[in-house]
Parts: sequence; C-alpha cells; structure tokens
Amino acid sequence: MSTDDSTHTDDPLAALHTDEWEAEMEELLEETDHDTELGIEMAKDAQRLVAGQIDEEEFHAKYHEAVIDEFGVDDRPIDDAIDTVKEAGGDAAAALEAFEDDDGTDRRDAMKKFGVGAAALSLAGWATADAMDDEPQDQAAVAAAQEDDEDDLQWGMVIDLDKCDGCLACVVACEQENGTGDGENWMYVFAYEEEDQDDMNYLVRTCQMCSDAPCEKVCPTTARHTRSSDGLVLTDYDVCIGCRYCQVACPYGVNYFQWGEPETPMDEIDDNHTHDKRGQWVDSRPPRGVMGKCTMCPSRQDGNMGDDMVGTTACEDACSMDAIHFGNMEDPDSDPNQYLEQVREERASANELQDDDADEWADRPDHTASTFRLLEEIGTKPNVVFVGNEPSSDAEQVEGPVSYEDVGQVDNRKEALDDGTFAGGVTE
Amino acid sequence: MSTEASEADILRPIHNTSKRYFMMLAACFVAIGIFGALWTYQLYHGLIVTALSDWGSGGGVTWGLYIGAFIWWVGIAHGGIILSAAVRLLGMERYKPVARLAELLTIAGLSVAGLYIIVHMGRPDRMVTSILLNYHETVHTSPLVWDVTVITLYFVMTATYLGLTLRYDIHRLRDQLPDHFGPLYDVMTLGYSEKEDEVIERMVWWLALGIIILAPLLLHGGVIPWLFALIPTMPGWFGAIQGPQFLTIALTSAISGVILVSYAFRKAYDWDHIIDDDLFRGLLLWLGFFALLFLWLQLQQLISGGFAAPTAQELTFESKMSHPAYIIPMVMVFLTLAYIFAQVLRPSLFSKERAVVAGVVVLIATLVEKVYFVVSGLMYPMFGLYRSVPGDYFPSVIEMSSVLGTIGIVTLFFLLVAKVIPVVELHAIEDHGHGDETEVEA
Repeated sequence: MSTDDSTHTDDPLAALHTDEWEAEMEELLEETDHDTELGIEMAKDAQRLVAGQIDEEEFHAKYHEAVIDEFGVDDRPIDDAIDTVKEAGGDAAAALEAFEDDDGTDRRDAMKKFGVGAAALSLAGWATADAMDDEPQDQAAVAAAQEDDEDDLQWGMVIDLDKCDGCLACVVACEQENGTGDGENWMYVFAYEEEDQDDMNYLVRTCQMCSDAPCEKVCPTTARHTRSSDGLVLTDYDVCIGCRYCQVACPYGVNYFQWGEPETPMDEIDDNHTHDKRGQWVDSRPPRGVMGKCTMCPSRQDGNMGDDMVGTTACEDACSMDAIHFGNMEDPDSDPNQYLEQVREERASANELQDDDADEWADRPDHTASTFRLLEEIGTKPNVVFVGNEPSSDAEQVEGPVSYEDVGQVDNRKEALDDGTFAGGVTE
Repeated sequence: MSTEASEADILRPIHNTSKRYFMMLAACFVAIGIFGALWTYQLYHGLIVTALSDWGSGGGVTWGLYIGAFIWWVGIAHGGIILSAAVRLLGMERYKPVARLAELLTIAGLSVAGLYIIVHMGRPDRMVTSILLNYHETVHTSPLVWDVTVITLYFVMTATYLGLTLRYDIHRLRDQLPDHFGPLYDVMTLGYSEKEDEVIERMVWWLALGIIILAPLLLHGGVIPWLFALIPTMPGWFGAIQGPQFLTIALTSAISGVILVSYAFRKAYDWDHIIDDDLFRGLLLWLGFFALLFLWLQLQQLISGGFAAPTAQELTFESKMSHPAYIIPMVMVFLTLAYIFAQVLRPSLFSKERAVVAGVVVLIATLVEKVYFVVSGLMYPMFGLYRSVPGDYFPSVIEMSSVLGTIGIVTLFFLLVAKVIPVVELHAIEDHGHGDETEVEA
C-alpha cells in the first residue's frame, strides 16, 4: 500500500486517493463481477465514513439504490462492516484489526465474499489504516494473518430445505458435471412426509464433508482422505482398492461404488475435471472397482475450470431456488455463513412483528430459525448445515413432485446393477 | 487310545492312495475350477456380476456373502490352533491325535480367508502397493488393517508352530518317507539334532500360550468383530457383545470343522484306534458348550434389542424375529445343542455319524448366520430415511460358487498335505505306546 505522510493536506483522506491507490482498487474490483466505478466511489466515501466526515445514514442513503440495482439486495455485510468500525470506536486501525481477526480472508477473497460494497469498505479500511499507522510490523502482521487465513479454509454448504422445491435440477447437474451413471446419485434429494403433517419436506443430501470423517478413519489405504488445504474429503482413485469399508462406515450413505465399467467413458470427461491441484485423480466418476461420492467439485475450487468457478459447485449453480450455498464454513463472511445469518435475522424480525408484547415475554428467544447438521450426535462434525427441520425417525420417503425417472435419472441403483449380475439379479 | 497304533498307521496316508482319493481330488478340482472360472469372469467384468449394490439409495448392501464367508473361514481357522494349543498347555491329551489336523485346518482356513479379502476387492491388483505402502498411517485407525495384521501374525505363528513340531516327526520317520520329497524334508529338518527337542518343546509351549492369548483377545474376540462392532451407525453391528459373540461362533464352527476332518481321516485310513469314539464324544461336548454360549449371547442381543431399544435397533430386532436367515440357523444350533445334551444323558444316542451331522449342521448355521449378520447390519442403518432401505440381497451364483471353491481348496490342501507329512503327531502314538517318553508337558 502506497502511503506518504508528507502529502497530508486538510483532507486527510485526499492523501490516500492517489492514482496508485485507484489503480489497485480498480484491479481488485475488476476481479469481482461488479461495477468497478461504484466500488471505488463507495470505497472513497467509506473512508470518509470511517474518518467521520459523513455519517452512516448518509453513506447508506447515498448508495442504497445503486447497491440494489447492482446486487438486487443491499447486502448485510456493509452494515456489519460499519458496525465493526463503530465497535472499534471509529478507529480505522482498530477496525482493521477487527476485520483481520474476524473475517479470516485476504483482501482478494474478501472482495469476492463480502460483495463489492463491503469489499470497498474494507479496502478503504486498509488504505486508511496504512495511511494513518505506517508501521512496517503491522504490514508483517497483516501478511502473517493472511497466511494463517489460508489454513482456515473449510469448504462446506448451507442448504435451505425450506427453499427446496424438489425439482432435482441439482441431481441432474451433478450427474452431468461428474459423468456418474444410473443411480450413482452423488447428489440425492429426499422428498419425505412426517406423521400428522400434510405437506412434503425435502432433504438435500450431498457428502457431508465431515471434519472427523469415519470413512477416512477406516480406509485401509489412505485413498479416502481430507485435503489439508480446504477440508474436502476426497478419494484418490489411483490408490483405492475397492474394499468399500468407507461406504460401510459412512452414516449417511453417500458413497457409490463403481461396480462395473463406468457409463461415461474416460474420453468423454474433460481433462481439467479429473486431477486436482496436487495432481491426484480425485474428481469426476471413479474408474471401475473404485469408490466414488460427492466431491464438492475440487476441479472448480482449484481453478481448473476458470476463476469464475472457484467457490461454486455444479449443484449450487443449478439450483434456481437458491437453496444451496457453498463456501468457506470457517469464514463468517462467506456466502453460506452470511446466508445463515441473514436467515436468522429474517426469521427473528418476522418473529418480532408477531410479537408485539415482547416486554411481557422478555425471556422468549426471538431467534427461531431451525438449523441442524445431519446425525450430528455421532460426532462426525459435518460441514453441511441445513436450514429447516430435521427428518424425524418416523419420516418416510415418498415420491416427490418430480421423480428421478422424470429427469432421466435412476433412484434405486440396484435396479440398474441387477442387469449386470451373473445369471440375473435374484431379489427376495 | 489304543496301544496298537504304530508308525505304519500314521504313515498310511503317505503310502496308500486309493481310488476314492483320486475321486476326491477330482471333485476338488471341479469345485475349484467352477469357482476359478466364475471369479475370472468377475475379474473381467467387475463386481457388478455379484448381487451387491450400494446401501442407501442404492437399494442393496455393499458387503455380502464374501465378507460373511471370510469371517466364517477365519472362525474355523481359529479353533483349530486353539484346540491344538489347549492340548499342549492344558494337557488335554485325548485330543492329541487330531492336534495336527486342527493346525492344518488353521493354515488352510486362514489362507482361504485371505483369498476372500482379495475376491471381495474392487482392485485386488493394488493390495500390495496401496495397503503396504500406507501401512504406517492406516494401522492407527483402520480396523481392516488391524485384521490383516493380526491374521498375518496368526498365520505366521501357526506355521511356525507346525514347522517346529514337524521337525521331530520327520527326522524320526525320514527313512519311511518318500524320497521324491527329500529336498523338502531336508529343508524342514535343517540343522536338526535330538538335543533341540526339549528346546523346541518349550518354544512351542510359549507359542501355544501366545496363540491362546491372541486368538480370543485379538483375533476372533477382537479385530474381526471390531470390523463391525465399531461402526456406531449400523445398529445391528454396534456394541460390546460382538467380541464374545464372534468368539463363540468361531469356536462352534471350528470344533465342527475338526470333527469333520477327523472323521474323514479316521474313515479313510482305518484310524479307529487312533481317533477313537471318545475323542468325538469329547469334541461334541465342547461343541455343545460353545453352542450354549453362542445361543446365550444371541439371547442377550434379542432381549436388549426387543425390550425398549431405540428405533433403529428395534428394526434389527424385528428383522431377526422374522428373517429365515436368522431363525433357521438359531434353530439348527439349538437342535444340535439339544442332541448333544441328550446324548450325554443317554450315551446310546451317540454315534460318530451323528457327531458329523452335528458338525455339518453347525457349519451351515454359522455360515448363514454370518452372512445374515453382515447383510442385516447394512440393511438397517441408523440413517434409514431412504425408500430403498432395507435393500435387497440374495447372493449371486458367482458368490455362492466361492463357498464351493474354498471348501474345495481346503479339502485339496488336506489331500495334498497328507501325502507329504504325517498328519498325526508321532507323540500321539508314542505317549500311548511303549513308554517312549519324550513328551515335555507344561
């Protein structure tokens, strides 16, 4: 960050708005998909806000419409960012520290994850802090913090079951992305009914990307492993011996073995969609005799499929209901965590409206959004959080509004596998 | 035991080859051939030729007869050496004539159990590279690696035990053994001197102690049940009872195996005076004792699974109460127990042939129970929301042929080994012979 205290003028911020600063801002903002000019303007005003030259309401009012135009919503992170600054007593340097401690991302990541508004604000925070407190050890601390942050990446998902409409678009998208075969449902959507309840519920089941994955624990070969850089639980297709113990140990039934020759031949799979950044073959459908399961798209996360695809999954992209939110579960400002926060706030405020007599029922919690992790009591530490109700032990899977057959998929894989059974499948 | 037993008696299998022997040999080759051809077919097409599928939405079970038969063979293998070790440690002299047969059953049983692991794999070609090269990491957490470790250890201990005890016999019988195996005998008795006998006896005693400790604590009461008992999300498997339960099943099947092998050799080589009726009576009693424990532990599971069990466990209980693959084996073992009890009260009910029937019944029951155990565990997972849970499974012809093939391999092993080494220890006839006391008992 370029700083030069000698150029101080009446406006302490003018010193920050150098060409170099703008150029860097532009470069960073252009990496996002959003309006660069808007971002820079916001950044400048955000600095003014931090410096106390304009107040929060003014800032909010000035950009509210533009932000709505650009993003569809006026994103929460701006408010959060302002709150952070305020909590720090308006001290930008302290605010920066607060950002550093909390968000656990470097600036580029922050830009993408905060949305441009918050990114602009955080940029402004950095610029201001650098300008006001020009000590080299701070920069070293920032760099060190950034390095630490890289270790704090844990891909996962927040899935809003209340939004799911059971269209199975995610199931189809996953199959197309990975070349999985009939009934090899890495992504699986349950439609289920509860006793004494008329409407249908959904459960969207990916791999739960457990932090303490039983499948990895029991693997006799290390083929099933957790990628240390981002916590994805993957299978090294070159090492797996096909003993299927991972499938036995997984509480969720997310594993699908390649019983015979894969339906999608190798030459139909993109070269950039097989090996991850370590050079290990972990993506797309497994070869014969090897275990496969939902991977949460490591080829995308590693940038093999272009930078645009980083931080996305095929199922998330396909979900028109915005039910699936993929991102870094360790980062409070990531898409899934922000979504969770938003849901909680929305439901809290909805509750507040109904609850005029809050004083009378002061002890009643207003935070009522139901979230859960699947079979959390088993201690697998899943990294998929569901919004909605957890199926009870009486829940019964039923035919959804769209059947697997409707979308060209197979639900019960055994029906497909029995064709390959020697002397025909014999079922009881 | 009769005092008439002679060296010629125990050498009879080596010197005499009947037409029936060749018929048995041919039958073994046919059995192995059928399985070999079908396994080749499986290697060519993949495991899709089995009736297995993925559990969950996949509508099946991912482990089936191969794993059930694997446990079954390890169980049979077990008892052999335990019986032999008990003879040495506890002085159960009555069983000495069948001790070596039991040891051989251990070697053969463990070998085909190992074969089952390979048959079960999707990529058997990677067994060595993937397992051995990562052993230092996986041995900490993978029960399957513990299994491979302990089975290997057990195999090595048994083979050492057998190898050491054979030196005494081969040295003394060398002149009467066929010359064409000369080099083999030379290797087996390399550096032998009569002075080593006492040392060998002591070594074998310690090995026997190791085996007696290892088998119940680590193998069939340990790592084999832990494959299942440590999986908390399969209620049919999870829990502390599987260790003792597996051990009782292993011992019932192992004693049954010894009864069958002993009977076959007695009949084939007129060994009525070596393997006498008393020995079968004794084996039957042991079979009854372990069958009782087997049923008692099953009862424990039924009571705790049926009284006020959590939902998922209740489903496994209901399955047990209704599934023929559970009920029939339990009835078979119960009837065997009833017969054994009856023949104790009324000795006239005993006959060797009935003992053999009891052995066959128990072996069938334990195989079916083991397959049911593996399959039902996967059919009633804790997370049972899937419509396709419980899945379907009935073993394919290929899977069933593996049982035929492995029985063929074990039988062939006995047929061949009996031509090379004495399958009854010299000690067994010496002790009851004319006072040639070389026995060192602990």
